[in-house]
Amino acid sequence: MHADSDLETLMALYQQGDFAAAAALIDRIGPQLHRFFSAQSASRADADDLLQDTWLRIHRVRHTYRPGEPALPWFYAIARHVRVDHYRKSMRTLAGERELEAMSGTAAATPAEFGPAHDLDALLAPLSESQREIVAMLKVSGMSLEEVARATSSTVGAVKQKAHRAYEKLRKTLTVHAIGSRGGRSGLS
Amino acid sequence: MKDEEIDDVLNRAARAAHDPQPETLRRVAESIKPSLRPVRPLPSTWAITSGLFFVCAAVSVAGAAHAGFFGIEKMDILERSLVFSTLVLLIWVAGAAFVHEMIPGSRRRLSSGALLAFGSAVLLAIFAFLFRDCHVEHFVPVGVACLLTGLLYAVPAALLSWLLLLRRGVALNPVSAGLAAGTLGGIAGVAMLELHCPNFEAAHVLVWHTAVVPLSAALGAAVTWILHFPRASGSRERATPQ
Repeated sequence: MHADSDLETLMALYQQGDFAAAAALIDRIGPQLHRFFSAQSASRADADDLLQDTWLRIHRVRHTYRPGEPALPWFYAIARHVRVDHYRKSMRTLAGERELEAMSGTAAATPAEFGPAHDLDALLAPLSESQREIVAMLKVSGMSLEEVARATSSTVGAVKQKAHRAYEKLRKTLTVHAIGSRGGRSGLS
Repeated sequence: MKDEEIDDVLNRAARAAHDPQPETLRRVAESIKPSLRPVRPLPSTWAITSGLFFVCAAVSVAGAAHAGFFGIEKMDILERSLVFSTLVLLIWVAGAAFVHEMIPGSRRRLSSGALLAFGSAVLLAIFAFLFRDCHVEHFVPVGVACLLTGLLYAVPAALLSWLLLLRRGVALNPVSAGLAAGTLGGIAGVAMLELHCPNFEAAHVLVWHTAVVPLSAALGAAVTWILHFPRASGSRERATPQ
């Protein structure tokens, strides 16, 4: 019914209580948000929970969206705060476990653990939280610099800088991984 | 490795990432259905900022009317124009920052922490420029009385601003919003003190009047932190939307 409508129109209809528009928004934004959460070390179950929590918060504060404003940064600004809340909560409960994992050196994925198809979570693992978030928004969700700046309450310049640093880190990691793979192959032959 | 190659790796990884089950999306849609009612979008930023400005001005003037306009009566023209134009400007800037703090995805120019630092620094600069009386008499008892009076009016200003904007829930960071609301209330508290307090000793004004802003901001952040975190831990159990 609302397949061709843009996000802003759907959001305005959602505010008017149109369930079809709300369902269309969930179908359109839900998978994007799920990938955004998955890209930041969330398991499938966690990503499902985060998606559910995000929509509950979106629903509660839908009056804060103002018609005419870009909708995508509005969704992502809420999603990233839900994720941060979730992260803080899990940090409190899993602090002991993480400490043990860090001591045994198995906490973070290393380049050698990348599968052939480059698992997104493992690929972004060497990046800091904020860099991972920026890369996930720019590359996984396909947002523009301006949209990411709005979603993260930042400036376009700051987003560019974080993305640049993230790419530098990814370049190093992927280069080391590529050299390691070539070395492994030549060793076998 | 070129940027395009990294883009390619990321794109392939993103395509391979798992999507949610259709059942999950259907469940999300069903969970909001019972409470789906029309809502009125927030008014424009300037309209809300005007509302916040009115609330803060009303609280300050009402407080001074109750306690007496001794401060403004003692000030000369330069002091009146500089102090009150600065306070008007600061209340407006703090109101706008508070509004942006509450609207997801809006262009934010000043974070809550920067707002607090900026507001306190501007007040210190103006007070240091205008008030040169270096006498110090009953510094602590008189100062504490002024600080408490300022806070007494900062709290209702912050609370009313909060109710005006956030009665339907916090979308983003509640602690940051509390800090911004507290800063706004604190500036209203300082405005009340400037209208009321006839003590123009430099040390008194610089320390005790200005301290209302950071203390009120800290109070706002602390209250929202206490209110939010027990709720956050129970939010998973409470799956029904409001």
